[in-house]
Amino acid sequence: MKSLLYKMIKVRELSILILMVAYFLFVGSINSQFTNLDTIVLVVNGSIILLVMAVGQSFVLLTSNIDVSVGSIMGLSAAVCGTLLASGANLGVVVFSVICVGAVIGFVNGIGVSYLKIPAIIMTLGMLGVVRGLMLLYTKGMWIENIPNYYKKIARIEILSIPFPVWIGVILVLIAYLFLTKTKFGRYFYAVGDNTDGAQLLGLPVNVVKVLAFMLSGISAAIAGLIFVMNIGFVSNQTGSGMELQVIAAAVLGGVALTGGIGSVIGAGLGAFFFTVINSSLVFMKIPAYWNSAISGFLLILIVVGDSRFQKYLKKRSLQNQKNSLEENDREKQSKAIP
Amino acid sequence: MKSNLKRFLKWELFLFIFLVGELIFFGLLTPSFLNVQNLLFSINDFAYIGLAAIPMTFVIITGGIDVSVGSIMGLSSITVGVLWAGGLNIWVALIIALIVCALAGLLNGLIVAYTDVQPLVVTLGTMFLFAGIALVISGGSSATGYEGISGFPNSFVQIANGITLGLPNSIWLILFFLLIFGVLLHLTKYGRNVYLVGINMKAAKYSGIATKWIVMSTYMLAGLGGGISGIILTSYFSSARSDLGAQAILPVITAVVLGGTSILGGRGTVLGTVIASIVVGMMNYGLQLSGMTSEQTTIIVGGMLIVAVVMRRFNINYVKKWFVANGSTTTKGS
Repeated sequence: MKSLLYKMIKVRELSILILMVAYFLFVGSINSQFTNLDTIVLVVNGSIILLVMAVGQSFVLLTSNIDVSVGSIMGLSAAVCGTLLASGANLGVVVFSVICVGAVIGFVNGIGVSYLKIPAIIMTLGMLGVVRGLMLLYTKGMWIENIPNYYKKIARIEILSIPFPVWIGVILVLIAYLFLTKTKFGRYFYAVGDNTDGAQLLGLPVNVVKVLAFMLSGISAAIAGLIFVMNIGFVSNQTGSGMELQVIAAAVLGGVALTGGIGSVIGAGLGAFFFTVINSSLVFMKIPAYWNSAISGFLLILIVVGDSRFQKYLKKRSLQNQKNSLEENDREKQSKAIP
Repeated sequence: MKSNLKRFLKWELFLFIFLVGELIFFGLLTPSFLNVQNLLFSINDFAYIGLAAIPMTFVIITGGIDVSVGSIMGLSSITVGVLWAGGLNIWVALIIALIVCALAGLLNGLIVAYTDVQPLVVTLGTMFLFAGIALVISGGSSATGYEGISGFPNSFVQIANGITLGLPNSIWLILFFLLIFGVLLHLTKYGRNVYLVGINMKAAKYSGIATKWIVMSTYMLAGLGGGISGIILTSYFSSARSDLGAQAILPVITAVVLGGTSILGGRGTVLGTVIASIVVGMMNYGLQLSGMTSEQTTIIVGGMLIVAVVMRRFNINYVKKWFVANGSTTTKGS
């Protein structure tokens, strides 16, 4: 019984889910409106941008790299999407070119990190500045407001009474999950992150995997930009700024380790959802909105530190168990040897 | 011969030459750029970057990183503002704000040193936490969270805007930081230990260095640096806001890395960071004079960060090797 509980907590996705349900019930007990289905759908809808980006980020984090440029990639993508739509371009063309923007920037990041051996944090931090500046050059610092109505209406299409953006998020998580766990190439991401040199020696295409990870992260940010324009209906020149840190925080909250090789996209998605839940719950508890970051920051540290302590404890415990069983074996051998 | 070349090819010297070239380039582009008075006072615009980047150098040399320093700037600014608005003497408020920031840094350091959570994750969390606390302080004291507190006494405003012996105070402050932190890093036992921790944490631990204390103290210094930087910003704008410095983290880390500090730890100098801060600042100033907006200059600054790392990795090493190889053959020949 006890070991089952340990196993359950060890699976990070489950523990974050339990924590989230507990939090939901806690807020619900203060204000029953929070556990309404409508509210939940609203919160889920609000978390989709973060969720999509956290899933993309997971690929990069799994290979033990980091991508802090996603905030500005999302901003540039939203701007490109907005201007193309406003100029009356075909929807397919818009989606294709926006995704290309994300893929190209991700490709450059990936080349820098894998072939030029620039530390990922530096490469993407530089790219964060470059892309932010490019966006402002592109928009000339102006807001894009005349988005055609048909595009904004897509966000309100409901399939099985669930909004369209939520479907995009769910489908992307599922595809990413299946790709990472069920295909051979997907497992490479874990192998590269867990032991890069080992993966190299085994003949895995390490650099290709890294470039692909950054491209997927860029594409996810581009998709987030598409959803942003759909949901919000205008693009300010600050769009996406600061998102990168929320995305990484969400992935870490969901159990994706920055050291690489550990975590899942489901966890990252749950982390993103939990992050949004925390932010949107404050209104229901009648706490002023300016408490948002303080509480999310505190919870993030608490969960990450708690998890690290717990993992240490588990390690110690399993070592102790091993030692005990070894000693028992010795004793058995000795008792057998005596007669 | 060899050591001379090595000295010549030092990164700091290269940066300095680059800085001179930059000044000449912008001078040719817009002649008004080379007005010495303007040039000196433009340092006011980016002194805060250098002040935060110098202590950050210590953190990065130990192999860590502190992304919460921007939030600490806001925290320090709003603490001074709220305490002063609450009727406290401005200088007492200033000292309390610095203590708060050092404690914030201590919290970072404690978590980094005593758990095995990566520094980036820890400071990411505290970045939200400190920014949040700053917002709570400002929101709790007045109805609108984003509205600044202004009307500070003139003596406080003069910290960043005043002139001493013909030079702006911010230049004196940077020189003071360069001296204090330069001596601390390069001439004391503490500084040597900081390098050792960055090069090999385990070896440092087994040779009896209090590694946890070293790591913790560097984060405290970074927090203090962020605090001072926040106060300079508050004084410069003569207004206290909780989101001052929110965008500072990119230029601060750029200055440290461009200055030659390895993000992997173990390498870096205070002088390099200072020169790099000026290079970045002057680049911003020059580009803005020639008609770019401050946001657009981030393209150049971001690009510079990437190019600098690539150059340090390939070019300089390559050139060094080439020189050394040629130097040794010529000495052999003679």
